[in-house]
Amino acid sequence: MSLDDATRLAHDLKLRRLRRERNGRLMKHAFLIGVSCIMLYPLLWLLSASLKPENEIFGNIELWPSAFQFQNYTKGWHALPESFTIFYVNSTIVTVLSVIGNLLSCSFAAYAFARLRFTGRNFFFALMMMTLMIPYHVVLIPQYVQFLQLGWVDTYLPLVVPRFLASDTFFIFLMVQFFRQLPRELDEAAMIDGCSPFKIYWAIILPLSLPAMGTAAIFSFIWVWEDFLAPLIYLNDIKSYTVPLALRLFLDQEGQSAYGQMFAMSVLSLVPVVIFFVLFQKLIVRGIATSGMK
Amino acid sequence: MAGLTLRNVGKSYGALQIMQGLNLDIHDGEFLVLVGPSGCGKSTLLRMIAGLEDITDGTIAIGGKVVNDLPASRRELSMVFQSYALYPHMTVAKNLAFGLQNFRMPRSEVERRVAEAARILQIEPLMDRKPRQLSGGQKQRVAIGRAIVREPKLFLFDEPLSNLDAELRVQMRAELASLYARLGTTMIYVTHDQVEAMTMASRIVVLRAGKIEQVGTPQELYTRPQNLFVAGFIGSPKINMLAAEVRADGERSLARVAGFADFALPGLATRDSRLTLCVRPGALHVGGGEVASEGTIRLVEYLGNETLLHVALASGQVLLASIYGQASYRAGQTVPVGFDLADLHYFDASGQRLEPEMPAPVPAQAVSGSA
Amino acid sequence: MKRFIARNAPGYIFLLPWFLGFFLLALGPILASLYLSFTRYDMVNAPRWIGLGNYEYMFMRDRRFWKALEVTFHYVVLAVPARLVMALAVAMLLDKGLRSIGLYRAIFYLPSLLGASIAIAILWRQLFDANGVVNQALASLGIQGPEWLTNPDTSLYTLVVLAMWQFGSPMLIFLAGLRGIPRDLYEAAEIDGTPRWRQFTRITLPLLAPVIFFNLVLQTIDAFKTFSSAFIISNGTGAPADSMLFYTVYLFNEAFKFFRMGYASALAWVLLIIIAIFTAAAFLTSKYWVHYENERD
Repeated sequence: MSLDDATRLAHDLKLRRLRRERNGRLMKHAFLIGVSCIMLYPLLWLLSASLKPENEIFGNIELWPSAFQFQNYTKGWHALPESFTIFYVNSTIVTVLSVIGNLLSCSFAAYAFARLRFTGRNFFFALMMMTLMIPYHVVLIPQYVQFLQLGWVDTYLPLVVPRFLASDTFFIFLMVQFFRQLPRELDEAAMIDGCSPFKIYWAIILPLSLPAMGTAAIFSFIWVWEDFLAPLIYLNDIKSYTVPLALRLFLDQEGQSAYGQMFAMSVLSLVPVVIFFVLFQKLIVRGIATSGMK
Repeated sequence: MAGLTLRNVGKSYGALQIMQGLNLDIHDGEFLVLVGPSGCGKSTLLRMIAGLEDITDGTIAIGGKVVNDLPASRRELSMVFQSYALYPHMTVAKNLAFGLQNFRMPRSEVERRVAEAARILQIEPLMDRKPRQLSGGQKQRVAIGRAIVREPKLFLFDEPLSNLDAELRVQMRAELASLYARLGTTMIYVTHDQVEAMTMASRIVVLRAGKIEQVGTPQELYTRPQNLFVAGFIGSPKINMLAAEVRADGERSLARVAGFADFALPGLATRDSRLTLCVRPGALHVGGGEVASEGTIRLVEYLGNETLLHVALASGQVLLASIYGQASYRAGQTVPVGFDLADLHYFDASGQRLEPEMPAPVPAQAVSGSA
Repeated sequence: MKRFIARNAPGYIFLLPWFLGFFLLALGPILASLYLSFTRYDMVNAPRWIGLGNYEYMFMRDRRFWKALEVTFHYVVLAVPARLVMALAVAMLLDKGLRSIGLYRAIFYLPSLLGASIAIAILWRQLFDANGVVNQALASLGIQGPEWLTNPDTSLYTLVVLAMWQFGSPMLIFLAGLRGIPRDLYEAAEIDGTPRWRQFTRITLPLLAPVIFFNLVLQTIDAFKTFSSAFIISNGTGAPADSMLFYTVYLFNEAFKFFRMGYASALAWVLLIIIAIFTAAAFLTSKYWVHYENERD
C-alpha cells in the first residue's frame, strides 16, 4: 500500500517536473521568438521600404506595402550616373581577386607556421599575432602615400595586392588553428612517401582543410564585399566604384526623394551576403567558434 | 634489403642532450625491436633513422651508405605509424599508390605492386573505401600495405599495434611475424610491450634515458640480463631483487640477505660488499630451495595456467613466486620460501651483471616461463 | 650553412608573401607613420620636420581631439558591455535544453554579418529619423521620441543600439564556451540544491572567464576601430555638434579631407598606443581576474 503510494508520489513528481520543464521551454521559445522578431524587424522593414511607394516609407511601421513598387528596383539600378551593372562588376572583380589572394597567401603562411620547422618561427608568429591588433587607420596614410607614388590610386591594385601578401592576418590565425589539429604523422607519412613540402601542402593539408578554407573564403568574401574605407580612399572615378561607394552616392543626392530606390539598391547589396550566409551557415558558425577558442 | 649502422649518434634540443654516443649495428634481414619505458628515446631513435628528426652528432648508414643528409623520402625505407596516418581523403587504393606515384613509377608497375600488396594482406575488397570506413584492424593492414608496396630496404614500425584491442593485437602480431618470414626485409620495430618484443624479435635493444642498456636475443636478455634495469624490465611477472651484504670468510664469501641464513657465494669478480641478487618468480621455490626462509602469503593470484603468490618475508620485503597450474595456497598461510644458487643473477653495486666463476646451468623452466 | 638553408628554406619560402606584406604593409607604414607624425605634410610639399609640434597641438590646443577621444571612449564603455551582456544572456538561453536552436542562432547572427555594410548604416539613419520607425513605435506607446540624429545628446545612442543589434559573433563564441562546461557540474549543483543564480556566479562565470576575457579584448579593439557606420550616419563629419566624432572619423577627415597627413599620422599613433595599452592591460590583469574567479570556486 505505502509502496504504491510512494510510486504514485514519485510518478506525480515526475509529471510535475516534466510539466514545469515544458512550461520553461515554452517561455524560452516565446522569449526567443520575441527577440528574433526585434532582430529581424529592421531587415524586414528595409525590404518592405524598398517596395513601398515613396509616401509610405516614412512614418510607417507597417511592413506590408499598399502597392508593390517593383520599379524601385529597375529605376534604382539606373538612378546613378553609372548603372549598377558596372558597380556589381567592379565589386565582383575586387572581391573575387581578394578572396583568391587571401586564400593563397594566408594558407601559405599558415602552413609554414603550423607545419614547418624553421629558425625564428615563434618570433614571427608572435609578430603576426601582434599585427592582428593594429588598426587599419595606423597604416592607412603611409600606405596611401606609397600607392599614390606607385600610381596605383584609382586602380584596384591597392585593394587587391595587399590580399596577395597575407595582409588579412585574421585568416592566417584561423587556418593555423585548423592546420594544427591535423595529425602530424600525416605529414611524416607523406615525407616518407616522397612528398616535398609543397606537395604536402597541396596534396595533404589543403584537401583536408576544405572546411577552414571554406570559412576563410566566405568571411573574406563578405568582408571585402562590404568594405567601405579602402574603396573610399582609393577609388575616385565613379566608373570604378564598388557597390558600397555607389550606395553612398544616394545619400549625397538626398532631397531628390528617391528613398525607395536607395532602399531597393541597399537590399540588393545585401543579397549576396545573405545567400552565402544561408548556404554556408554551418561553416560560418564553426569558423567563429574555432577561431575564437584556442 | 640492407643493414643499418649507427655510429656515435647523438641528439640534443638546444642545451638538452637526450641521446649521446649511440652505437648499434643492425644486420641485414634482422627483426630488431627497440624497447624501453616511455620517454626512453626509442621513438626518437626510430624517427632519426627515418629522417624525420635531425641527428645532432654521429652518422647513420643504411646499407653502408651514410644517410645523415638524405631526406626521409630518399632513404629507401617505409614506416608504419602508431596512428596509421592513412590519408583520410584518399581511398585505400590511392593510399597505397600515392607514394609510388610520387616517385614517378610507371603506372603498370604501380598497379602490379598495389594488387600484390592487397593480395598478401587480403584487403582487396576494401580498395575503394576511405580510411574512416575501415575497422582498426583493416586500417592497420592498409598501413602495412602502404609500407610494403614501396619494396623498401628497411621497414620501420612505431608501436603499430598499440591502438588495437587485445585479441586483434595477438592476431596482427602473428601476421607481422609471418610477413617478416615471407619478405625477409630488415625491420626495426618500436614497442613498449615486452611480449611483442620477446615474441617477434631476432634481437632486442633495451633503451633507457637515451642510452642502450643491452642488445641481444630475447633468450640472452631473459637469461643473462647485463644490468639490473634489463633484469627488471624484461620478464613478467617482474624479477625479485634481494639486497645482499657480502663479507669474506676465509676462502669463501658469505652473503647475508635479510630474512635468510647466511650462505656462501660462488666466486665473483668484484670488491663490492653490497650486491643485488635477482631471482625470477618462476625460480623462487615455495616449500624449499638451497637457500630458504619463511614467509607469509599475502595474496594469491590465480591466472589459469599459473598462480602468483605474493610472499612477505620477515624483513617486510614481498617476493613473487610463480607456480605452475593451480596451487592450494591461501592468503595468511606461512610457507617456507627459497631459491637455488644456480638460479641467481648477481649484480654489483653499480648494477652491472657479475658472472659466477663456476657458471651455473640455466634451469629450463626459466626460459619457457616467459610471456 | 648549407644545412641551415636546407632546413629553413621551405618555411621561409612559404612565408615569403607574408614577409613582403609584413614589411611593406605593416612594419614599414607604421615606422613611416611615426616619422610623418613629427612633420607637417600635405602631400604636395615634402614633409617638414616640426618635432613634437603635432603632439603638442593635439594635447594642448586641439579641442576636437579631446572631443573625439571622449566620444570614442563613451561609445566603447556603452557599446561593449551592452553587446557582451546581450550575447551572454542569449547564449545561455540557447545553450540549455532547447532543440532546434539552429534557426535562432542564424537569426541572431545574421545582423553581425550585415552590420558592417553601408546598406545597414543607411537603413539606421532612416530608422532613427525624427519621423522614423523608432519614433513611430514610441509614439504608439504614447512616448514622444527625440530627434535622435540631430540631437547631440542622443545621436551616439543610435550607434550603441546598432552595436547591440550585432551581438551575434560574441554570442557564438560564448555558446562554444558554454558547451565546454561539463554538464555534471550543474547536475552536482542541482543535487546539492544550489539555486540557479549561484550556479551562474559560481560555475558558469568562473569557467567562462577566459572566453569572456577573449570577447572583451576582441570587442573593445573592434569598438575603437568603428568607422563606416559612424561615417555614414553622421554624414562623414561627426555631426551634430561633433557628438559622433569618432576618433577614426576625425583621423580620416584630417587626412583625406584637409590633407593634414602629418597631424593625422600623429593621431594614428596615439590610437595605436591607446589600443596597445588597453590590450596590454587586459592581458596583464587577466591572470589576476581570470584566475581569481577560479580560485573562489
